[in-house]
Amino acid sequence: MAQVIADRKDVDFVLFEQLKVDELSKHEKFAEFNKKTVELVVAEARNLAVKEILPTQKEGDDQGCVFENGKVIVPECYKRAWKLFLEGEWLALPEDPEYGGQGMPRTVAMACGDYFNGANYAFMMYPGLTHGAALLVEAFGTEKIKKLFLKNMFTGKWTGTMLLTEPEAGSDVGALTTSAVRNDDGTYSITGNKIFISSGEHDLAENIIHPVLARIEGAPKGTKGISLFLVPKYWVNDDGSLGEFNDVVCTGIEEKMGIHGNPTCSLTLGGKGKCRGYLLGEENKGMRAMFLMMNEARLLVGMQGMACASASYLNAVNYARQRIQGRHLLKMMDPEAPSVPIIQHPDVRRMLLHMKAYVEGMRSLLYYVGMLTDRRQVTADEESRAKYQGLIDLLIPICKGYVTDRAFDICSIGIQVYGGYGYIRDYPQEQLLRDCRITMIYEGTNGIQAMDLLGRKLGLNKGKPIMDLMGEIQQVIARAGQTGALAPLAADLEKALNRLGEVAMHLGGKAMSPEVLKAFAFAHPFLEVSGDVVMAWMLLWRAVIAASRLAKGAKKKDRDFYEGQIKSAEYFTQVILPATMGKMDAIVKMDGAAIDIGEDAFGGK
Amino acid sequence: MEILVCVKRVPDTAENEIEVKSDGTDIERDDLVYSVNEWDNYAVEEAIQIRDNVGGSVTVVTVGDDESEEVLRREMAMGADNGVLLSDSAFEGSDGRGVAAILKAQADAGNYDLILCGAQADDGAGQVGGMLAAMLDWPYASLVNHIEIVDDKKIKVGREIEGGNQELNEIELPCVLSIQTGINEPRYVGIRGIRKVASVEIPVKGASDLGLDPATVGEAGAKVKRLDYFVPELGEGAEILEGSMEEKIEKLIELLKAKGGLK
Repeated sequence: MAQVIADRKDVDFVLFEQLKVDELSKHEKFAEFNKKTVELVVAEARNLAVKEILPTQKEGDDQGCVFENGKVIVPECYKRAWKLFLEGEWLALPEDPEYGGQGMPRTVAMACGDYFNGANYAFMMYPGLTHGAALLVEAFGTEKIKKLFLKNMFTGKWTGTMLLTEPEAGSDVGALTTSAVRNDDGTYSITGNKIFISSGEHDLAENIIHPVLARIEGAPKGTKGISLFLVPKYWVNDDGSLGEFNDVVCTGIEEKMGIHGNPTCSLTLGGKGKCRGYLLGEENKGMRAMFLMMNEARLLVGMQGMACASASYLNAVNYARQRIQGRHLLKMMDPEAPSVPIIQHPDVRRMLLHMKAYVEGMRSLLYYVGMLTDRRQVTADEESRAKYQGLIDLLIPICKGYVTDRAFDICSIGIQVYGGYGYIRDYPQEQLLRDCRITMIYEGTNGIQAMDLLGRKLGLNKGKPIMDLMGEIQQVIARAGQTGALAPLAADLEKALNRLGEVAMHLGGKAMSPEVLKAFAFAHPFLEVSGDVVMAWMLLWRAVIAASRLAKGAKKKDRDFYEGQIKSAEYFTQVILPATMGKMDAIVKMDGAAIDIGEDAFGGK
Repeated sequence: MEILVCVKRVPDTAENEIEVKSDGTDIERDDLVYSVNEWDNYAVEEAIQIRDNVGGSVTVVTVGDDESEEVLRREMAMGADNGVLLSDSAFEGSDGRGVAAILKAQADAGNYDLILCGAQADDGAGQVGGMLAAMLDWPYASLVNHIEIVDDKKIKVGREIEGGNQELNEIELPCVLSIQTGINEPRYVGIRGIRKVASVEIPVKGASDLGLDPATVGEAGAKVKRLDYFVPELGEGAEILEGSMEEKIEKLIELLKAKGGLK
């Protein structure tokens, strides 16, 4: 039977052959995660994802969440999946076992997340947000707060959210007006309205813990006056028992394009003056606290997008093998010729290889960043730690912005392969596209990701991270250059990499010149070409390993897989990279039309 | 209660396209994805539930090669207390009787009150449980879908009968039961279970450890030999529907309507 969600061989290949995740078990911190254990963990994540979570995907989409009298009812089928997910303790895989985590390498957690998110990512938002909120508690909570909240969050007994957005404070968080007033007992009274709150209210858990950004009375305007608070739906007494309702009222949920199984709530805090919260971290340092968690959150969003693309690809390739339609192009003139599976048509093959190459490149990139996080944790060498952190910071806008842009394209092609059936709801492809679309918007729009890359990450530590990245890519180019058939592909990537270096210098300079506006109109194209080069790097890296395995003689199915790796790298460097070179020319040219055009000239008036 | 559960590593039919080798000796086994035989999962779950209710221990055992260790570890992660791998080059090519003889040696070496096995394996003949009981001279019930522990001398077992009927039997311990799917809902393996067994050494026993004469098991002792393995030829009146699942369903409904099966 055909596989669904994520190709098992591909996941295993990235884990064990490309990133050698089992070598982490040499370090004491990850000693118990040897190859056998990692295999068992990933196999069981897959088992649960395929058997229990995937069946909730369509049902959850059809039923959606229901808002009734301030309560939100989640799709009925989520309850069993949630119970099993918690029983298996899958919520906090890489976290501290002392507080209910599993102490697992993040790279392994990425592989589990690949299967879970591809099975139903609207469902996975409940544990995902809970995990993120718990990390804030872990990083900034006092011992008392950690004791009261952390274990119940890491085990999913209580869920979490993130309350940032307000009607007039979206991308500009600094404009928020939710206020906090200090009480005599050290808590704060919170008043305000928050919108677009995923999992803000639901009936999966007995309590919901909201990290909230608010401004303490008299604090400065803008982001410098924002503090972070922990506001539970039900107050938690000092003995851990649940107290009174904490005046966090859901006033409605949004009707959305996708992720119907997860409610997007409007919340009123302190409408009756009875909402209290704990300060997390220091006063007015809320934004800094949020930034610490941002890499984690943005990596997760990249995973959500990639997982949709991966699922869409496997559906498409399976469908193309089965769907009989049209004669083979070489037998078009023969009316007696049989119809063939559409995978034999050149344009369908083009679409499938395009999907395959991107899904593989994106998977490798996301796991690689997971691996950098693990390596940073186990290395004692300060310089290496700084290097890994620099690479993570640099790659995060690509993991979020580039990956989700491409993931949406891939889901669209996934519909195209199905033809008309792709557009109707009886088939899974259109839901993956709808669900996937929000990943380009939330957790910092992809425009903001592009600005982050150009404005902050490029010049980070005097450009050391970008130099380190180019060094890493050079190493793969050098290895590929010595691998016979891969040498021409390596040469093309080298050209693109060198050109990217020039473009980065050029655009980075312009961003600090009077032409700054024009430069930032090319932030997104720059994100795109950087992402292309990173994809080509990941695919060439895979191809180098595949070529050496083939040279040693691989078994039949392995041979097919490895040959497929080389084809992905060939396709990307030969078909996509030439367009990347053209886009880089356009960036260097930096045409000013988007800035110079008068607002009235946009028309429509 | 000391319970032994016999399990088997089989190609996962949900994961593989099974192809028959051209020489007709076997299926293509290169690169197949393997997992625990589905029926055996129910047997292990039942054993865990009995242990949790009345105490004792659950041991999972399999006859197989080194790679079969992974199914034992998985079932231990599910909750079995011990695992034993019965592995020896002399065991290769065993017929059903040979496998039962090897398992009997393990049963003799322990002090088990109850032996459970799956009613059949995805790739098997459903014979080992019955043979094992006969060799041990223990009572046997097949296709068991209900178990009640009465005391340490006897239990009650429900059996599925053709036509949707059910019977209930009292059976003396020790005994062998073959377990039908649906008797319970096998639990999923969680992280805690996996971490618990991550570094457990699973003992391996060969022919000499079990006191078995190599000539009586494996290919040497096999009295049933496979002659051929093939996909049967299409007979008269049979039609294999082609196309995607949806297309097949559409054609099937058309056919049913045309032949009067659906109105």
